[in-house]
Order: sequence, then structure tokens, then C-alpha cells
Amino acid sequence: MAWHRQALILAAAIGVGLLISAAILVAAGVPAGELTNEFIVQTLLDGQNFRAVLFQAAPMILVGLAGAMAFRARFWNLGLEGQMIWGAIGATAISFFEIGPPSLRLPLMFLAALAAGALWVLGPALLKLRLGVNEIISTLMLNYMAANFLLHLVYGSWKDPKDNFPYSPQFRAFERLPDLFSGVNSAIGLAAVVALLGWWLVGVSRAGLYLRFVDANPRMAQAAGVPVARVIYGAVLLSGAMAGLAGFAVAAGQEGRLTQAFYQGYGFSGILIAFLARNNPLAASVVALMVAALFVTGRSLQVFYQVPFSMVQLIQAVIVVCVASSDFFIRHRLRRVGTGAA
Amino acid sequence: MDIVHNWLANTPDFAVPYALAALGLIVCERAGVLSLGAEGLMLVGALAGIGAQLAFGEPAVSLLLAMLAAAVVSLLFAVMVIWLRVNQVIAGLALVFFCQGLTALVGTLAQWTNQATPGIGTMALWPFSSLPVVGRLFQQNAMVWLTLPVFAAVTWCLLRTDAGLRLRAVGENPQAADAAGISVSAWRFAAVLAGSALVGLAGAYISVVSTKLWIAGMTGGRGWIAVGLVIFARWSPWKALAGALLFGCIEALIPQLAAAGVQLPQYFVLMTPYAVTLGVMVWVALARRGGEGEPGALGVPYVREERR
Repeated sequence: MAWHRQALILAAAIGVGLLISAAILVAAGVPAGELTNEFIVQTLLDGQNFRAVLFQAAPMILVGLAGAMAFRARFWNLGLEGQMIWGAIGATAISFFEIGPPSLRLPLMFLAALAAGALWVLGPALLKLRLGVNEIISTLMLNYMAANFLLHLVYGSWKDPKDNFPYSPQFRAFERLPDLFSGVNSAIGLAAVVALLGWWLVGVSRAGLYLRFVDANPRMAQAAGVPVARVIYGAVLLSGAMAGLAGFAVAAGQEGRLTQAFYQGYGFSGILIAFLARNNPLAASVVALMVAALFVTGRSLQVFYQVPFSMVQLIQAVIVVCVASSDFFIRHRLRRVGTGAA
Repeated sequence: MDIVHNWLANTPDFAVPYALAALGLIVCERAGVLSLGAEGLMLVGALAGIGAQLAFGEPAVSLLLAMLAAAVVSLLFAVMVIWLRVNQVIAGLALVFFCQGLTALVGTLAQWTNQATPGIGTMALWPFSSLPVVGRLFQQNAMVWLTLPVFAAVTWCLLRTDAGLRLRAVGENPQAADAAGISVSAWRFAAVLAGSALVGLAGAYISVVSTKLWIAGMTGGRGWIAVGLVIFARWSPWKALAGALLFGCIEALIPQLAAAGVQLPQYFVLMTPYAVTLGVMVWVALARRGGEGEPGALGVPYVREERR
């Protein structure tokens, strides 16, 4: 099918998804006239809110890239949240135990987040490739375990002694990602660099060629001499590392500490972003910006119209359902069958 | 001694949701539809059950309405995977996230969160209930006793009746089933609806019978554990029941240990059901029973026009 018809069907699907979402919002008590105002005018055109979107977009881009990387290797990494938690824990550990001189602290936290995220997905990757254990279940179970471990830390030995709230002590100034220019944190710069690297890796490099080969047909790739197992390990570990980096972006870029529920909503968003972007790193960045805008709008709807934040998740799910279903109309052509033939 | 006593007595209460959810998943997956949506459908059942409890206060009605609600929501999934041939993993995940968002939203807007409901009373199975030591094991709520005949009936239908044979044929080899005049789509639709109703019942059991209130996300991964449990049981209902009892044992032990004053790091204790699920999956893989028991066409959409 011609690409413009595909694009048309995709746009129609997203449009239907947005219409259903708008209907749900109106049913939940948001005045219909305010919808476009809230989403477009307030979120995207207002300078301060746009900075909030960029702020939100940094970890969103990183989890989207993480999802895309693993799905390219045909590995259902549903453990993005767990790897994100471990990334944040790794970075916070460097700050908490004051490892390394101040000038090296931030790079060390960065590396610790990469390593911790990658290590948390290594188990499911080994289990899948060595024993054939279903990675959907194993990565999800590890999410719940990581979340409980996070609570163990923030309610236990890492609790801030200053006010006894369940979060780690505040990072020092040199342990936080600096602002690029007024009000825009360098986390978004970091995410953009990773997105470009991801695009180069998948689209240009030799490893990326192998990865696309494995994505298209693992058996054929094996027969053609591509080191399939190594490619899958590489992509999956990279996916974990990127998710860990998202945890670093939240801890060092946004919160400035380890908090108890920072990861919520990112796991699904990462999967959604990768799915809508068809695992393309650059498209993932654009979709991630949209999702970040949705998050920011969701928060303001929560404040102004008492709409629960779970609305954001519902809207995301509705759009995924619409886009996934629209695939049918791209792959099949429907024809009326005459009464006799039916 | 007291711990063991209470532990044994509480095990069925924790095992019932796993048993019902796993049974529902088996019905669905034996027909060839990979159902990852259990976590979401359990939430739908749990919320619908509490909503009906608050409105009518009649547990039997609440449980039936919960089954109905889960079946209705699963229609969305059925249309996606059976008619539109969407990848079943994507559709299942989308269903979970849809249900999580929907139930959290409806629960908040309807103000059903944390509203206490009366629950249902216990029924003693005389004369076993007057036995020493194990007596308390035979004092359970009506739903526990009801689960056993429901489980047996569904299993019998699935494995011993003509309808069950057709359903399994559709999951094992849809081409052959189609050639034999069995409608693949119709049977898969029926399996998804029936299986989802059971999964919804499992969720409603948690909210209406066990905790007696609704909290967003209250199933806490039990749906996913049930998905793992079905793999562990190799799609066999009776093995799934045994697995459900195992998980019931583990979950029932957690509050008992705390009550007995055993000093354990709380959050590590809360990890155990997930760690055990992981362990069980590894054990199954190590036992090298690979594809045994797995329905032949699990997760594969059936496209009649591509019939070979």
C-alpha cells in the first residue's frame, strides 16, 4: 500500500483515539470548550508549560528508546520500570556513599545508572536465551521486586534523616544535572544525544544492520551468519542501560533525590512510545514529546478539574488500541462481497 | 502451633483468586488466544464487584455482575485479536493498561475507594469443622466452597465434553478445526468471554470477599502471577489448582509471620510471591518440558484466507 494511504489510516486512527479520549474527558467533567485550550494553547504555546514538557520529556525519551531497542531484538522488555528504579538506585548510591571526588561524581552516577539498569535486565535475557523462560513474566516480576526494594531503601537505611520523609537525602549541587539555560535542564540534552546515538546505532552502524536483520527474521539472520545471540544480548542490555539512564534523569535532573514512586507510568509509556514510533529512535523522541505533553496536561487537569491522573493512562491505552487496530486496514483491503458469493 | 493452624486455615482464601484466574486463562489459551490481560480484567472484576456491593449489598449479585463486566470489557480484546488480528501480546498489554486506567478513574470518580462493604459469612463444613487441629480449615466463606464445584465443572467441560473438544481443537489446529466445520472465530470469542468472566470473578473475590474494599491497582500483579502459573501448570487445570494452593500458602504465610513477631525485612517478604513465580518459571524451563502441553496455535491469529 502506498505510504500516504498508510499515513492517512494512521492519522485517522490517532484521530479516533483522540475523539474517544475527548469524550471520556467530557464525561469526567471537563468542559468540552476547554479541551483544545488546555492541551494546545496552555501546554504547547505557553513558555513555562513548554519548559515543563521538555523537563518531563527527558526520561520519557529515554524509556521510549529503551523500549524500541529491546523490541527490535524481539525481546518483550516489560521491565523498563524495574531497570529505571535500579538506574536511580545506582546513581543515588554513588551520592549516598560519597564515592569519588566532587568533579567526577556526576559522571560516576551516570555510569552507575547505566550499569545498574543493564544488570537488572541481564537475568531475564540470560533466562530467555539459555532456558527459554518467557521474558514477559520474568521482567514484570522483577519490576515488582525492584519496587519493593526501592521502598525498603527509602523507608529504611536511606531515609532522609533531616525530615524522616520516605526519600533519600537531597543530592549536593554538583551531583545534579545542571541547567542548560534558564529553566531548561540538561537532562533533555542528554536524552537528545542518546536519541541521536540510538539512531546512528540502529540506522547506520554494522551492529544496527545486524539488529534490523534479526528483527526482520531471526532464523534467516542466523543462517546468514549474523551472531544472533550476541546481537540480542547487546540490544537488550542497551535497553536496560537506557532505562537506567531514565532513572538517572529523574533522580539527578528532576527530583534531586531518590523518591518512592518516581517510576510510575514510565513503563507503559516506554512501550507505547516504542510501539507508536515503530521502534524508530528519532520517531520515538517525537512521540515521547507528545506523551510528555499529555502528562503535563494531565497534571493541570488534575489541579483545575479534579480529573484523576489515571486519565492519562486511559488516554494512552485508548490511542494504542486504536493504532493497533488500524494496522488491520493497512494490511488488508476490505471488499464488499456480492450476496451470492457470501 | 497456632501459626501453622492459622496459616492452614487462611490458605484457601488466598488460593481462590489464583485458581479462578488460572482456570479462566486456561479456557482462553486452550482455544489458542494468548491472554495477557488477566491483571486488567481482575481489576475490572474487583471494581465492578465493589460497585455492585455498594449499590445492592448482595454478594451473589455482585460476583455475577463482576463476571459480566469483565466479559464485556474483554469483548474489546476479542475484537482486536480475533477479527482485527492484532498481535496478541500488544493487545493483551493494551487491555491491561486500559483496565488499570479505567478502573482507577471510575473508582475515583464514583468515590468507591476505601468504602467498606460487609463481605460474606463463613460456612462450616460439618463434621470436618469440628475435628481437632485441622478443623478451622473447614470453616471457609461460601465462595471457597463454591470454587471447587465451579473448578471441577469447567474442567470437565473443557476436557470431557464435545464443546470442550471443539474449543481445544480450535486452539490446537485451527485449520483442521475449520475444515471439520467448527467456526474458529465463534469458539475463540466464546472462550475469551467465558475465560474473562472467570478472571473477573477472581478479581471480585479479592475485593468483595477478601479485602471487602476497593483500592486502585489492588490486584498487585496477581493477574501476571496467574499467567505464569498457567505456564507452570502446562495448561492443565488440576496442576493449576495445585499451583494456586502453593501461592495461597505463600501469601497466607506473610501476615502470619508478621503476627508471630518474626523480625524479617518487610519489603523482602512482600517480594516473595514474585520471586517464587520467577523461580517456578525457571524450574519449569530447567525440567525441560519445553513445549509440552502448550496449545499448538497459542498466540497465532487465524486467517481463513491464508489457509493452506
